[in-house]
Amino acid sequence: MLFYILKRVAAGAIVLFLITVFTYTVFFVLSPDPAYMICGKTCTPDRIADIHEKLGLDKPFWEQIWIFISGLFVGREYGEGVNAVHCTAPCLGYSFQTSQSVFEMIVQRLPVSATLAVGAAVLWLLAGIGGGLIGAVKKGTWWDRGIMVVALSGISLPNYFVALALQYILVVKLKWLPFPTAVPFADDPLQWFQAYIMPWFVLAFMYAAMYTRLVRANVIDTLGQGFIRTARAKGLDPNIVMGKHALRPALTPALTLFGMDFAALLGGALITETVFGLNGVGKLTADSITQNDQPVIMAVTLLAAALVVVANIVVDLLYSVLDPRVRVKAQ
Amino acid sequence: MSRQKRSKNAPRTGSLKTVSIPIKGSTLLDVENLTVTFPTVRGPVDVVKDSSFRIDPGKTLGIVGESGSGKSMTSLAIMGLLPEGGEASGRIRFFGHDLLDRSDREMRRVRGDKIAMIFQDPLSSLNPYYTVGVQIAEAYRAHRGGSKAAAKKVAVDAMRRVKIADPEQRVDHYPHQFSGGMRQRIMIAMALCLEPDLVIADEPTTALDVTVQAQILDLMKELQEETGTGMLFITHDLAVVSEVADEVLVMKGGETMEHGTAEEIFSNPQSSYTTALLDAVPRITDVVGDIKGVSHE
Amino acid sequence: MSDTKTPLLEVQNLTKTFVTQGSGAVFAGKRSFTAVDDVSFAVQPHETLAIVGESGSGKSTMARIAAKLLEPTAGNVLLNGTDMTHAKAKDLAHFRSKVQVVFQDPFSSLNPKHTVERIIMAPLDYQGVKPPKKRRDFVRDLMDRVGLNPDHSQRYPGQFSGGQAQRVGIARALAVGPSLVVCDEAVSALDVSVQAVVINLLKDLQRERDLSYIFIAHDLAVVRHIADTVAVVNKGKIVEHGDRDSIFDAPQHEYTRELLSAVPQINPEWEAARLTRAQTAQKENP
Repeated sequence: MLFYILKRVAAGAIVLFLITVFTYTVFFVLSPDPAYMICGKTCTPDRIADIHEKLGLDKPFWEQIWIFISGLFVGREYGEGVNAVHCTAPCLGYSFQTSQSVFEMIVQRLPVSATLAVGAAVLWLLAGIGGGLIGAVKKGTWWDRGIMVVALSGISLPNYFVALALQYILVVKLKWLPFPTAVPFADDPLQWFQAYIMPWFVLAFMYAAMYTRLVRANVIDTLGQGFIRTARAKGLDPNIVMGKHALRPALTPALTLFGMDFAALLGGALITETVFGLNGVGKLTADSITQNDQPVIMAVTLLAAALVVVANIVVDLLYSVLDPRVRVKAQ
Repeated sequence: MSRQKRSKNAPRTGSLKTVSIPIKGSTLLDVENLTVTFPTVRGPVDVVKDSSFRIDPGKTLGIVGESGSGKSMTSLAIMGLLPEGGEASGRIRFFGHDLLDRSDREMRRVRGDKIAMIFQDPLSSLNPYYTVGVQIAEAYRAHRGGSKAAAKKVAVDAMRRVKIADPEQRVDHYPHQFSGGMRQRIMIAMALCLEPDLVIADEPTTALDVTVQAQILDLMKELQEETGTGMLFITHDLAVVSEVADEVLVMKGGETMEHGTAEEIFSNPQSSYTTALLDAVPRITDVVGDIKGVSHE
Repeated sequence: MSDTKTPLLEVQNLTKTFVTQGSGAVFAGKRSFTAVDDVSFAVQPHETLAIVGESGSGKSTMARIAAKLLEPTAGNVLLNGTDMTHAKAKDLAHFRSKVQVVFQDPFSSLNPKHTVERIIMAPLDYQGVKPPKKRRDFVRDLMDRVGLNPDHSQRYPGQFSGGQAQRVGIARALAVGPSLVVCDEAVSALDVSVQAVVINLLKDLQRERDLSYIFIAHDLAVVRHIADTVAVVNKGKIVEHGDRDSIFDAPQHEYTRELLSAVPQINPEWEAARLTRAQTAQKENP
């Protein structure tokens, strides 16, 4: 088991290394010269050479990669001698726009995205599993059809449309909610809640729609299995047949999907964060792209990749706990 | 004949407990004019028509038929587990109590406890997510209650009875860790752990290899002698039915073609369909030339 | 099994090892499993070789390798004495025109979206061979021969019963005029009455078209009715190989004896009584 975990972590590290090389190539080698981004239109060749040297862009490709990766673990120096700037580990560089440490920028924004992701996940799991179950048990009834129509609209309505419509109705027309301004929970729980409730709902709506369809299909499939018939033939209560025998086989496969979706959300919800003015990783990503702030773009890309790789490993480990067929094979 | 539909609103006739107390002079199972109907786009279709038979304790009735003969629907009607839309009418008397009159709740008390069932494919009939011990003892706990430890002991004992080696260890294993034959033993252990009065076995050996089939049939016969359980044995295999059944009922397209003792059916079949079926069975003993086909395709 | 004539199809020292990957994404530990272990057999022209064994014995894998649907790990497949083990495009097309397969489940092995005519013609179309007469007539004749209504040539597999669909499978196998048909549990999924009819059809076709069969089965009684020679397999190896009657009447290997004794049988006394009755009845009403 331990060997397996180590194997997976090593594989994950290799994947992340390759992604690092790839993104570095895209953003620092193939993109327009970052030096022009930094010094603007009034640039002299000397100044550009200076910036190249400071960023290490004059060095050979693999050395640049090495400096970048070692910067993540032990920090790095920008420039040499007296003018050198030490960037402590984990070093992701400095924003071209604000000169802030990129790592610090992400650390500041991450709690917002995490709050968004966790809240939305709770909502969409409740709605998705509940809706899927009702749809499956009441298959073909108006309940089922109603749920499926809502689910279909959740999948087909664009995220930004739902977000804007919701904001327009609840904030502008009905004035049930103030215009969302995120504050930390400790400062003002009510305002915190008012700021997050709409984005949670918007994100959850889309995911819940997908999960409802998945859960419904899985439960219907499971209810047709032989072991459900066996359970009924034992005279078990229908609730036990459903809760014990049908739910676990039906929900376990959804875990993989959930892990990926959740990790992706932690990496930032671009549209939702932007529409609701939430200063999360998604907003940071959107801003850095419009401003062509290469160190930031690169950092959020790596963050997203790392989250997916970690989620993958966690999901697989959880899966082996939940599904005995997988677990026993490992022993 | 009055059409009775089993539903939650079915009138309750007699209390729950009476099902286990035999009405004087009653048989274990007495099925009278059982008809099972399913709605289709072309109107209702009877998949079982006017079927009547009885089973006495310690005896085995074999129902033989090809696919679509209605043999499985007969068993599901007795269990009250017909697929959605299916309606049973007639009388299914269990110790004199008509099971078709019972509510869902009452039927749950009968299923697993008084009447147990063994299915064809032991792998898909077992839940891959729970240990066999949990699944064997589940019915016991549902009907008799008791602690987890007591239930586990019941499971171990049941596994020992069906001759699974090292039951104390294996009780905590999962279905996929057993071979096909062992899984079917587990299904049998599950069916027998409450000592039901009637066991319905629906093609219990069809998915098994021939050597394993022989072992499972021997085991079932042995346990039946020990417990005096009545058995309804459903199969498409005439040779298997001749080995296990005291009485045989031949079905085709929902209708009873012939019904008699096994000896009567096999030595002196009255229906031309039975004869044709018997002629079609390939035999390992000798080759009499071409086997005869039954033309009803 | 004489060495004097070249067998139609011969396999020599076949071995097939599968590397199994753990199911689920996790713990994909690799384990190897030898499904076929150094197996040799040969089929003579017009002969039926039955390979009989229980589940997991490797019999289907042997059949698939013999039909070149699967590459062996080691060993050779010879058609009329020519080594076809590593045959490429053109040779493989030749092989396919000589060796065809009928599978167990007709519904999963026939494309549900194709008409019967298209299914039957597919082997010829793939090989770019023109049928000897007009397409429609060719299909109609073949359907008629396997006992299907030729007017149903535009129907889809789902519109047929199991026995009829299996006849479509047989017609498809016969379309290219093969010398050998590999029947992989071809009658196992059928009801007994239909099974008997299909077995008889296979025997008739063998006589008419000089066919050889490799007949894979787990049902010994069926094998007794169709085979000339029998290979009994267990755990990837052939444990006994000989002509049918010697295998059934004087089995040498313990496993063969065990298999034979396990086959359920109708009580012989009842059987005898029934046959006597039937004979008397026939004499009285000829």
